[in-house]
Amino acid sequence: MIINNLKNLGSRIDQTIFACLMVILVVGLVTLYSADHSQTNEFISQVANITLGLIGLFVMSNTKPKIIFSYTPFIFIAGLILLIWVKFFGLESNGAQRWIDIGILKFQPSELMKLAIPLTLAWFYQNNESNITVQSHVIASIILGIPFYLILTQPDLGTALMISFSAFAIIFSAGLTRKFIISSSLLLLISSPFLWHSLEKYQQSRILNLLDPFQDALGAGYQTIQSLIALGSGGLIGKGWMNSTQTQLNFLPEATTDFIFAVYSEEFGFIGVLAILSVYIIFLLRLSFMASRMQDTFSRLTTLGIIVSIFSGVLVNLGMISGLLPIVGAPLPFFSYGGTSMVVSLVSIGIIMSLYSHKSLIAN
Amino acid sequence: MQRNQLRFVFTKRLGIIVGILLILLTIVILKFFFLQVIKHNYFQQKATNNSIKLIPIAPARGLILDRHNKVLAENKLVYNLELDPTIKHDFEGIQKHLKSIAPIEDADVAQFHKITKENYYSSTVPIKSNLSQREVASFLARQYLMENISLVGRLERFYPFNEYGSHVVGYINRINKEDIKQLQRKKKFSLYKGTDHIGKTGVEQMFQDSIHGAPGFKKIEVDAKGRVIRTIEVQDPKHGDNLQLTIDIDLQKIAVEAFQGEKGALIAMDPNNGEILAYVSQPDFNPNLFVNGIDHKNWGRLNNDKSKPMLDRVIRGIYPPGSTLKPFIALAALENNLRKPPYTIFDPGYFTMPNGSKTFRDWKREGHGEVDLIKAIAVSCDTFFYGLGLELGIVKMNNTLRAFGFGEQTGVDMLNEKKGLLADEEWKKNNRGKRWFAGETVITAIGQGYTQVTPIQLAHATAKIAVANKYKTPHLRLDKSSPLQEYDVMSVMPRHDDLMQFIKKGMEDVTAPGGTAAFLANNHYKIAAKTGTAQVFGLKGGEYIEEDLPDHLKDHALLIAYAPANKPQLAIAIVVEHGGSGGSTAGPIAKKVFDYYLQKSQ
Repeated sequence: MIINNLKNLGSRIDQTIFACLMVILVVGLVTLYSADHSQTNEFISQVANITLGLIGLFVMSNTKPKIIFSYTPFIFIAGLILLIWVKFFGLESNGAQRWIDIGILKFQPSELMKLAIPLTLAWFYQNNESNITVQSHVIASIILGIPFYLILTQPDLGTALMISFSAFAIIFSAGLTRKFIISSSLLLLISSPFLWHSLEKYQQSRILNLLDPFQDALGAGYQTIQSLIALGSGGLIGKGWMNSTQTQLNFLPEATTDFIFAVYSEEFGFIGVLAILSVYIIFLLRLSFMASRMQDTFSRLTTLGIIVSIFSGVLVNLGMISGLLPIVGAPLPFFSYGGTSMVVSLVSIGIIMSLYSHKSLIAN
Repeated sequence: MQRNQLRFVFTKRLGIIVGILLILLTIVILKFFFLQVIKHNYFQQKATNNSIKLIPIAPARGLILDRHNKVLAENKLVYNLELDPTIKHDFEGIQKHLKSIAPIEDADVAQFHKITKENYYSSTVPIKSNLSQREVASFLARQYLMENISLVGRLERFYPFNEYGSHVVGYINRINKEDIKQLQRKKKFSLYKGTDHIGKTGVEQMFQDSIHGAPGFKKIEVDAKGRVIRTIEVQDPKHGDNLQLTIDIDLQKIAVEAFQGEKGALIAMDPNNGEILAYVSQPDFNPNLFVNGIDHKNWGRLNNDKSKPMLDRVIRGIYPPGSTLKPFIALAALENNLRKPPYTIFDPGYFTMPNGSKTFRDWKREGHGEVDLIKAIAVSCDTFFYGLGLELGIVKMNNTLRAFGFGEQTGVDMLNEKKGLLADEEWKKNNRGKRWFAGETVITAIGQGYTQVTPIQLAHATAKIAVANKYKTPHLRLDKSSPLQEYDVMSVMPRHDDLMQFIKKGMEDVTAPGGTAAFLANNHYKIAAKTGTAQVFGLKGGEYIEEDLPDHLKDHALLIAYAPANKPQLAIAIVVEHGGSGGSTAGPIAKKVFDYYLQKSQ
């Protein structure tokens, strides 16, 4: 009986996705072991995060889409409340207020929004499926706008951008007309100077530093430089596991979180980078294929939103450590140390598996 | 919109989005390729610069020893409290903090600022030097309160004989900007990594390169906070060579003390091998004051002192030789077949130019009567030399003087030796724009006029009389292995011993009854000498009455001598500034030096 049930539970798991995930998670753990030389037990803690996340993945993959659909508004509202909570009572670290401390673990509500926004927008478009107009897109933008503002002012530019990428992708794919796309692009272009001024001083300097990080080698450019040195000195085949001087000697900042892929690049070289990014690409293609096979708007848009949320995270993180983008504070999904991000990402994949394997929201 | 239409739009736009994501991922991969493959060497170097540091290890400076292995300059382990000059410090706070531990005076703070402003430093700079054991202990007990202050053990130069060797040994001081420029020009600056001091005067400066040695290094790996993770490689420094001098510090002490506070210089050398046994310049200074950068107060005191204690009078003091020049002028005459004994003149107490234009007085108003060349030296007869000079002419006089080393550096192993001056017609035309008068030739013959000598030149020339023809350049580095001729840089014109005998006899008679230094006669050994008095004050027709003149206008007293006369072992030259007449002040000093040296060696 129990064995049969377990078999059934497993049947909802997509094997390609799961294989890709396992490779990324294991490599991430191996790298974390090397990066966490200060012995703060981040490795053990990350194993716990992954375990919790995988349980979440299994549970979600066996949860009927209908249930997910019906809980979506509550997830969104809960997320919003947590964001407001964090604004007033959150923990501050490194000048940003991003954390809620609930006893044994710290929780980052903005990470939850990476899942809540795709779900909510997909839910919204599903409900208005028969009558999608410009008005619906405006409402969708407002749904995005409130959490975006709350996250941006934490301040956490990276996460704010990632949820808006994900939201734009959903609005775009939900049937936005070409005329609207062009006119809103123009609007964005015109408003960009004002957006620039709304950025914090340190955010501006990070963007400026991108142009020439070595100009301010000990200031804002320091992290970028040390990361570039880590990557570049890794070379083609890398320095070997546990042999990265940039990491082991603490030159690299945030080596277990935002910059963990720099550690990986230093130790395993360009070949290692190519190998792991191939896995990410297979992962992306498989998820996209699954999205294209889905029957209803909610499933499709949710899946797309999650894909964009995860892969804009990948791009922003890799762009950041390789000096293509400013330092905005974005973890590498499934790889960086961090509980909320890991659990939310795995749960999101669980939701996609559920949506895919149940085929239709209505049928079940 | 229809369901199918929605799905169609979705699939199309999903394709666009996935396409964009793939393009962006490709760009990222290309950037990784650029950094990791194309720019690998560049970043590899940067990574190495980050973590690998070379820490220089300074060599220990060689010791300086006297000829009997007594230490003249050594390295003493001292403990300093030091600060990193590259970061800002709250000096008042530090002073308050250390008040009960190791009090820091305002002068110490001023000194710290002076060093960091004017000098080179390889690491930390002392805020308080030479801590007592009690201070070290109480600092260590409370060190955790003072993160920025470090207790540093250093080998510090120490001159145990203080003033006694000041000019000959010299001193070291902190490397300043000028030193750096010079070292860079000589391409030697890399040898000074980790070293803060350099020889500034004396043999400390002259033999700087060999005393200094060469630094070693420690290659270490550091983390981002500069903490040492491990040592990769160590190369030991090449320590400086010890330097042994010809100086006999005991003799030097006797000589210094014999001056009894008078100003002047003394050189005592072994005429047989050129080894300098005593090298005295008075007044002197304590070289230990300079080692860690001399403070404003002492520097001002030493530099503003009118008696110039910093001046090395032995090689840089230039004096009119006075009558000490007479033996050499006499030899010039003999070499030119003039005044060879028993030829005599009658000295009425003055010399009148043949054309009657001018009359020159002898120092002895009533004259010396019948005088031959030997007596002329013994009694220092001016009249004898006036006529001789005029007949010989300035050119021939100078030729002989030059052969004895006047007007040239002796080549002693010290830096910036002065040449002195042998004036002639051409010199006067070029430097004074005036023609030469015959009267100037006349006074040159008694060592007045323009001629100027250094004490070491006098000693050097005296040694040449003492041991004609097998002579060695005066030197300070004791090197038993080097053969005699190696030092002989001067081309010595062959002196005929028969002519030299007259000069030697004249000098021996100086200490005989009736000579100008008869009081130097003793039962133990015979001294050959020549006294001299150099005019400082131009007596424009006035009378020179020593007692009436202020000290700084009194004549310089000079003396050259060697002994024992029959087998010379020591040649000396003495100048006592404003010491009055030669024999009275310089004579007793010479006596003490000879007594000590000749009786000790017997």
